[in-house]
Amino acid sequence: MIQLKHLFKWYNVGSTRSFVLKDVSLTIEEGDFISIMGPSGSGKSTLLNIIGMLDAPDEGEYFFQGENVLDLKQKKRTQLFQSHMGYVFQSYHLLDEMTVYENIETPLIYKNKSSSERKSIVSDLLDRFNIVGKKDLFPSQLSGGQQQIVGIARALAGSPSLLLADEPTGNLNSKQGEEIMELFQQLNAEGVTIIQVTHSEKNATYGKRTIHMLDGQLK
Amino acid sequence: MLTNNLKIAWRNITKNKLYSSIKIGGFAFGIAICLLIVLYIKHETGYNKLYPAMERVYRLVVQAPEGNKINRWVSLSAPGAATLKDEIPAIESSGRMLPNPQFGAGSNQLTINSLPESHYDDGFVYIDQSILDMFPSPMQYGQLQHALDKPNTVVLTKSKAIKYFKGNPIGQQIYLNNDKSKSYTITGVIDDIPSHSTLSGYGFFMSLAGEPFYPGEQQKWTSNNYTIYIKLKPETNVSLAEQEIFKTYISGHYIPELIKAGRKVGPIVNQIKIKLQNALDIHLYSADIEDDRVSTLNRGDIRMVWTFAAVAFFILLIAGINFVNLSTANATNRAKEIGIRKTIGSSRNSLISQFMIEALSYSFLSLLLGVLLANLLLPLFNNIANKSIQMPWFNWYFIPSLVLATVIIGVVAGIYPALYLSGFRPIAALKNKLVGNVRKPSLRNGLVIFQFATSIILIIGALISNQQIQYILQKDLGFSKVQVIVLRGLNAVDDKLSPLKRELYTLPTVSHVSIGDYLPVPIDGAKRNGNAFWLDGKREQDLATQGQFWRIDEEYLDTYGIKLIEGRNFNPEMASDSMGIIVNKQMIAELGIKNPIGSKITNGETWTIVGVVDDFIFESLKGEGIAPIGLVLRDSPSLLSIKVQPQHMDETLASITKVWNQFSPNQKINYSFMDEGFEALYQDVKRTKNMFTCFAVVAIFIASLGLFGLVTYITQQRTKEIGIRKVLGASHMSLLKLLSEDFIKLVFVAIVIAIPIAWWAMNQWLADFNYRININWVYFIVAGGSAILIALLTISFQTIKVIRTNPVDSLRNE
Repeated sequence: MIQLKHLFKWYNVGSTRSFVLKDVSLTIEEGDFISIMGPSGSGKSTLLNIIGMLDAPDEGEYFFQGENVLDLKQKKRTQLFQSHMGYVFQSYHLLDEMTVYENIETPLIYKNKSSSERKSIVSDLLDRFNIVGKKDLFPSQLSGGQQQIVGIARALAGSPSLLLADEPTGNLNSKQGEEIMELFQQLNAEGVTIIQVTHSEKNATYGKRTIHMLDGQLK
Repeated sequence: MLTNNLKIAWRNITKNKLYSSIKIGGFAFGIAICLLIVLYIKHETGYNKLYPAMERVYRLVVQAPEGNKINRWVSLSAPGAATLKDEIPAIESSGRMLPNPQFGAGSNQLTINSLPESHYDDGFVYIDQSILDMFPSPMQYGQLQHALDKPNTVVLTKSKAIKYFKGNPIGQQIYLNNDKSKSYTITGVIDDIPSHSTLSGYGFFMSLAGEPFYPGEQQKWTSNNYTIYIKLKPETNVSLAEQEIFKTYISGHYIPELIKAGRKVGPIVNQIKIKLQNALDIHLYSADIEDDRVSTLNRGDIRMVWTFAAVAFFILLIAGINFVNLSTANATNRAKEIGIRKTIGSSRNSLISQFMIEALSYSFLSLLLGVLLANLLLPLFNNIANKSIQMPWFNWYFIPSLVLATVIIGVVAGIYPALYLSGFRPIAALKNKLVGNVRKPSLRNGLVIFQFATSIILIIGALISNQQIQYILQKDLGFSKVQVIVLRGLNAVDDKLSPLKRELYTLPTVSHVSIGDYLPVPIDGAKRNGNAFWLDGKREQDLATQGQFWRIDEEYLDTYGIKLIEGRNFNPEMASDSMGIIVNKQMIAELGIKNPIGSKITNGETWTIVGVVDDFIFESLKGEGIAPIGLVLRDSPSLLSIKVQPQHMDETLASITKVWNQFSPNQKINYSFMDEGFEALYQDVKRTKNMFTCFAVVAIFIASLGLFGLVTYITQQRTKEIGIRKVLGASHMSLLKLLSEDFIKLVFVAIVIAIPIAWWAMNQWLADFNYRININWVYFIVAGGSAILIALLTISFQTIKVIRTNPVDSLRNE
């Protein structure tokens, strides 16, 4: 599904280059569940963002389902992102001025789904995550765990084949964290490829494979 | 997508009420002012458009160079109009207007049929029937076509007819100034003349048919009192017509008559041109025409229209800049949202359209509020501008233009923020790494500088025009206009003038009484003329000196405090004084007289100089300098001036009224104060000043509103920094300085930019005045100082709040 070849990413600090990613190559198969671990500043988030097309490497190649992502035009890349990827964040990043329902609906609007289609998809998700009763609440009215569930529901709204999660349980207590991880496992079982960045050994065990990073390199 | 975006826009507008109200309120104010000015400009440029075939109607304008400027005037001779039509086939019709008070136009005393009561009224003008045909008005009564064909006929406007008659007044008679030998028969009543017409201000249109005002007057080519209008046949070449008119008028009649009279043809005659001024241009393109004020009661100036258009544009720009500045300053608050939207699949275009819809919603709300505000302010505006403009709610173009304006304003103001915000990189946006980028925005600083520079220019403009008005009103004119009461309509007193004068002198507070129409201030009813003077015996050799020839009595100089510098005042006891003349210094200078007393000068009759007075300013302080003047001891008995003591003014007026009623039981007293009449001369300058003051206030208000919003955001973003500084021991004063410094620097730059522009612009404006103030650096200091003060107040209002917050609170947020 994903092939990364010799990725480099650096910042110029004065006259020296400070590498965030240094010659990273990685292949990810469809249906995989990968946990990326490593200390702060090891480049795990950068790697995730490059996979998620939110960031670009300074050097190297990135193939997604055989397409050379870095050569694609912005519009094409947005399309590819919309149809295949969902993002989950540590601090949920819900849109504050929108209700739960609207938050989940927004990606569908960007995908130009018809209003009836949107309605059925959002209803299914609300149902599935047991948040029907909260659909008209605003994010500030929810607990952290609930907000993250909405975040996941929103990420799944576009029925992505790849779910990217940047420390999804980082702001949650352990019980809430476990629930989210079980949810991820279940999704993976349904065929969604998942890549998560995590600090927690325990969370990493939910995945099928763990990658360790240090100073911008895979170990 | 659209409904969703609208919903989001609405939530954003209502979420932060202060921010939204600054954005919408400031914008609405700008739009309201702009709309009012647009309506004003539309009114000003719409003069005479209500009449048909105006593209073929022209006014004759004579022009001649003097030094490096060109003088223009519109007064021409009586036989000109008819002769031109007879001799030039391209002219379809021609007509004359005689607005000169010298001949009975302007203000008159009016009696109806054989009723004893008389009334004093204004708006009298003599015209040919063809003028009515060129500028046709709907008729209430009578036939427009031949209303003024016969001698001694008059057409009234509706409001004058209602004022003096019940029902249809056709066939009734009016008399002017107690002259029972001449009655005017009413032949028609027309609708009131709308304010955007050349005929506006007139109410009595008297026929010129069958007039000579004195024997031979109608055949005289060298006496210029008439304004001539012509209508060309369709598809006539205007410049060819001008040439033919010149040939017929100047070469064919004027010069031959000069030669026949044995007068010299001066070189100026060869430089004269006769131009055709289209009727649609009269209102706005006649500011430099010297005698236009006599014939056009409602004057405009194209430069004013341009100035106002520029002001409207800049005020709208200032309001638009607020929008852009507040939107981009708000960027950090929106950054997270933009980041999220991008990570859930939004393309840049859909973000741009979201922000554009938001901008359009703001502009729509602003426009709605702005139109309401304009509607509320319209009466005030009409008052200041002396117009009767109405909101054109039901004109087909009004609503569509407003909608179009909403879209244009929304797009123009919204496009930059939309592009700026949608361009954020999602990861940086989510991690709030934009701060550096947002804090040093050179564009935003430029816009703030622009706003303040514009406001400061308007403030300086308001200050200087204010000062100029004060200067004019207090200028030493060479005579005293205070405590002078002018009585009008003296014809009502008939032959009892001398007893009236004697009676007035018995009042204890009356110090002087003078009867005469040639007042030193050109107020309503005061007469002016033009006469040619020569040294006696030089009439055939020298070119004439153009000057005024006034009929006064022996009390005139004392009543107005005009200073005699040589010779003596008139003495009615001396028979020789009937051919004596008192001249001003200018006359002596222009005629080149060495020993004036006893010298003889002529204007057709020969006069002996008995006295010389100091020059006094008897025309508007706008325009020309002091002209030569000759004063002779003759009657001109329709105005009476009374110089009174300043004490007990009410009692004085009461006793004067009592005396008047005794002598003129059938006409109410009509008086005014000369200094008030003098002030009224400068109404248009005052209006300009008042409008500028209003615009300046609005501009600085909108600019401050923007600054306020901006400061709110910037200081909010710096709360953490302020918290840290406080923990490190910074004082309130040093924090205030820290937060204000950047903004005050911008205002300083604005002052530096504004001063030369304002200096240049105000010099242009002042150049119109013959007597004017010097631009003083004090104005710049006051304007700049007040801008800084306003900015400081605006800034500290917010910053002090932030500085006072407990650092523990601001740092805990992290």
